[in-house]
Amino acid sequence: MPSQPDLVTFTVDGKEAQVPAGTLLIEAVKAAGVHIPHFCYHPRMKPVGMCRMCLVQVEGPRGMMLGTSCTMPVTEGMVVHTDTDTVAKAQEGVLEFLLLNHPLDCPVCDRGGECPLQDQTMAAGPGESRFVEEKRHYPKPIPISDLVLLDRERCILCARCTRFSDEISGDPLIEFKDRGNATQVNTFPDEPFASYFSGNTVQICPVGALTATPYRFRARPWDLEAVESTCPHCSVGCRISVQASRNEALRFLGVDNGPVNQGWLCDKGRFGFEFLNSGDRLDTPLVRDEDGDLVEASWAEALDRAAAGLSAAAAEGPGRLAGLGGARSTNEEAYAFGRFVRETLGSNHLDAQLGDGLDPRVLAGITPRAAIDDLERARTVLVWAPDLKEELPVLYLRVRRAATELGANLVVVHPRATGLDPVATHTLRYRPGAGTEMLRRLADGSGDLAAVRAALDEGPVVAIIGRPGLGDDPRLAEAVMAFAAGLPDAAVLPVTRRSNVYGAADMGLAPTLLPGRVANDAPGRDAAGILEGLASGDLGGLVLLGSDPATDYVEPQQAAAALDAAGFTVAIDLFLTPSAAKADVVLPALGFAETEGTVTNLEGRVQKVNRLLPGPGSARPAHEILEDLARRMGGSIGAASAEALAAEIAGTAPAYAGITWEALSWGAGREGIVAPGPEGSQPLAVAPEDHAPPPAARDLVLHQARVLYDRGTLTQAGPSLAKLAKEPAAYVHPEDATRFGIKAGAAVRLTGSGGSAELPVVLDPSLVAGTVYVPLHLGAALGAGLEISMEAVT
Amino acid sequence: MTWSRATETRAAAILARYPEKRSAVMPLLYLAMAEEGGDLTEDGMRRVAELTGLSAAQVQAVASFYTMYKRDGVGRYLVSVCTSISCMLCGGDEVLDAVADETGVPDGETGEDGLFSVEHVECIGACGGAPAVQVNYELVEGVTPEQARSLCRWLAEQRPETVVGDDLQERFGGQRSFDWGPEEAEGATGPVPAFGPLGTTGERS
Repeated sequence: MPSQPDLVTFTVDGKEAQVPAGTLLIEAVKAAGVHIPHFCYHPRMKPVGMCRMCLVQVEGPRGMMLGTSCTMPVTEGMVVHTDTDTVAKAQEGVLEFLLLNHPLDCPVCDRGGECPLQDQTMAAGPGESRFVEEKRHYPKPIPISDLVLLDRERCILCARCTRFSDEISGDPLIEFKDRGNATQVNTFPDEPFASYFSGNTVQICPVGALTATPYRFRARPWDLEAVESTCPHCSVGCRISVQASRNEALRFLGVDNGPVNQGWLCDKGRFGFEFLNSGDRLDTPLVRDEDGDLVEASWAEALDRAAAGLSAAAAEGPGRLAGLGGARSTNEEAYAFGRFVRETLGSNHLDAQLGDGLDPRVLAGITPRAAIDDLERARTVLVWAPDLKEELPVLYLRVRRAATELGANLVVVHPRATGLDPVATHTLRYRPGAGTEMLRRLADGSGDLAAVRAALDEGPVVAIIGRPGLGDDPRLAEAVMAFAAGLPDAAVLPVTRRSNVYGAADMGLAPTLLPGRVANDAPGRDAAGILEGLASGDLGGLVLLGSDPATDYVEPQQAAAALDAAGFTVAIDLFLTPSAAKADVVLPALGFAETEGTVTNLEGRVQKVNRLLPGPGSARPAHEILEDLARRMGGSIGAASAEALAAEIAGTAPAYAGITWEALSWGAGREGIVAPGPEGSQPLAVAPEDHAPPPAARDLVLHQARVLYDRGTLTQAGPSLAKLAKEPAAYVHPEDATRFGIKAGAAVRLTGSGGSAELPVVLDPSLVAGTVYVPLHLGAALGAGLEISMEAVT
Repeated sequence: MTWSRATETRAAAILARYPEKRSAVMPLLYLAMAEEGGDLTEDGMRRVAELTGLSAAQVQAVASFYTMYKRDGVGRYLVSVCTSISCMLCGGDEVLDAVADETGVPDGETGEDGLFSVEHVECIGACGGAPAVQVNYELVEGVTPEQARSLCRWLAEQRPETVVGDDLQERFGGQRSFDWGPEEAEGATGPVPAFGPLGTTGERS
């Protein structure tokens, strides 16, 4: 067989095989169908050859040589043996040493039953050990963070966890200590392993040394049922395995989807399953009784009440009703919601976002649009977006990989320090409200920005662009996109966080869009317009689908007032959120892992979500609820089943043509299919325009941005993540602190457009003077307005 | 936390010697010890982490590997007796016993008055002059148990500010590995190695 230039031919156990030059032997042999036992090697990290388990024999000029296959690249003509007596003897010896101090507590170890050490000892280990000495003992387990426990005597020192935290996540808070005879993994005293990615070390630990508090002692692996699905916590769409026992979700594991998460998850995604099991889940419909209290009702009664209320409002005239939500639903539910609002309610007032996102036409139709995997080839990455580590953590990992492992230039523009700054080539800071000026200076590229501009001129460029904080106008993000689209070989990834907001936009849940990335020529009201209409009485009623404007709208108090004023409100939700609590009828929906469907991530990748759990009480799938409502109101939206909806979407939504459940469930489609799908087209092509808002001079501006663990409903509904939310604080530049006579640790009163709060001060020199940063959703509601006043509290 | 102004200046000078800040971790750890009177504290390691851009855990990983970074306190004079093969064959163990007996400080410990720390060490590169002893990392070779006792008595009585290897060798040493090197003008002022940038060197008195 003639060799291609970049392939090398080698022989393993008498079989000839070809792999690309430079492939590590352990991977090459795997490609040839031979499995080599190993512990420390992980395909997504650099090899170290620590555990010695992957020994093979390679023929050389001086005879057969034992070597670690994880550190040896394949060369032309290499002859490898993995099944000789020598290899078996060597592996037996390695295992005997690895078990020197490893306790035989498999029956009480979380890993027992799915443990690489256990499995490989059974497969390749000696029957018994010659070591009779006492094994090592440590106090156990020690919590190295709120989420991770460490049993040091189980550790075989493979360095997977320490390498992950150093190479991949960039927060090396665990390390080998007391190297030598007493080597152990540990943290620095009083500096816990508080990484947003700590759970990955639990998943890749090849023994039971690292275990997760939410899962420890909760199940045996053989009792678990599992389905593959897509993480519901942000718009990155990491591939996960949902695992449950006795109808209770017990853990999520990362699945290696190369173009998206490469096996990693953030801790919010990994441990954010607990909300599914929360006792606060709605399990029965609620209706408002004569005294104004929400009381339990039967489905028939609740649906009758909802249909009657909505019909009455609809009868007042066209366009009297509106719909908010769908950004956390599946595409099928979102599509059904769109049909319900447009056809049954007869209204174009429909929005999945709550004023905190981007223009939905940009989300659905930006060109040229980047894929996450373009980061593997990017020469330069521009991030002018939310702090990715806080809002889209696994995208942060991918950008970090591009900047470190792959050597791309990284330019980060943000109002303050972000998680990416330590690996950035250039960091630029600006005051919210002065972004336009920053953009003009960057585009001009003179003076101190010449080097930054030069980096941006090295293509291919991937530009990750969104609103860094609430104070940043969405028009600024568009102007940045317009600038970025003009960079060499550039593609733009518009980012906003809420999990299926891209799918919702693609399903037409926006005033300006119709399903399948089609422009709506008769746009209705957006979220702001809907809430205004409800407050003024121009609108008579509202349907909420998994949406909580009283918490999540940029001006929560305005939204709460609008919901109070609304004539008739139906809320379909998992929890009795502050918004649902104001509704006239509350209908309990099934949530993640309880329904089947598809979701679309921020690059337009459609992936399958699957059902494993029955859900609480009489909760029902949202599309069924909407269909029942439609029928009671004298119509149908064809939403008999999610599968029927999926077929309708694949048949009628132009960008989704050919993206069927069948295609997503098998083979290459399990990685997801990026829309436009195999037969799809994209009628909407949005070239972003530079209509940036003019800069406004203000004495003190407010920067508000989300943090990973906040007081959001889903985070607070699980005990593991709930306690990780920090207390709110005001981050003040030291110069401003001096100017206002404030000391660190003192309190200030901040008054913004939508509220006032007294907060402790943290000095933050990474801000531009004249800016105050307040993390969003930690308990301080100040409103979205840019201008803020601050006074010291004595 | 930050160190004294003089120590911070030295730290800056050490950092400037390396193209990568993290490369300075080991001399900075000595500096942290010198700042704290010979003891490497958690605060000291944190400051080294801040200066090098490493995490405190990474600094501790380095510090806990090398026995010369003392994390449990150390006396004014650190007496290290080699008990590796050459010194052991020439009576290193007896020298160690003599030092422990004379100072009243067992191997691996620090005396209550903080004057002496006694330890056995692995090879210190003086096999030709075995058995070898170090006082604050200043070498003296060919030491008999009796000479070792004299050495300890002299240290306790004289309490020299600066300990100089050549000086110790003259007073208490015997057979040397090499004796044609340049004369040593400077010695150690504390239980960390004498190294100009650390500020731990003193003139021979």
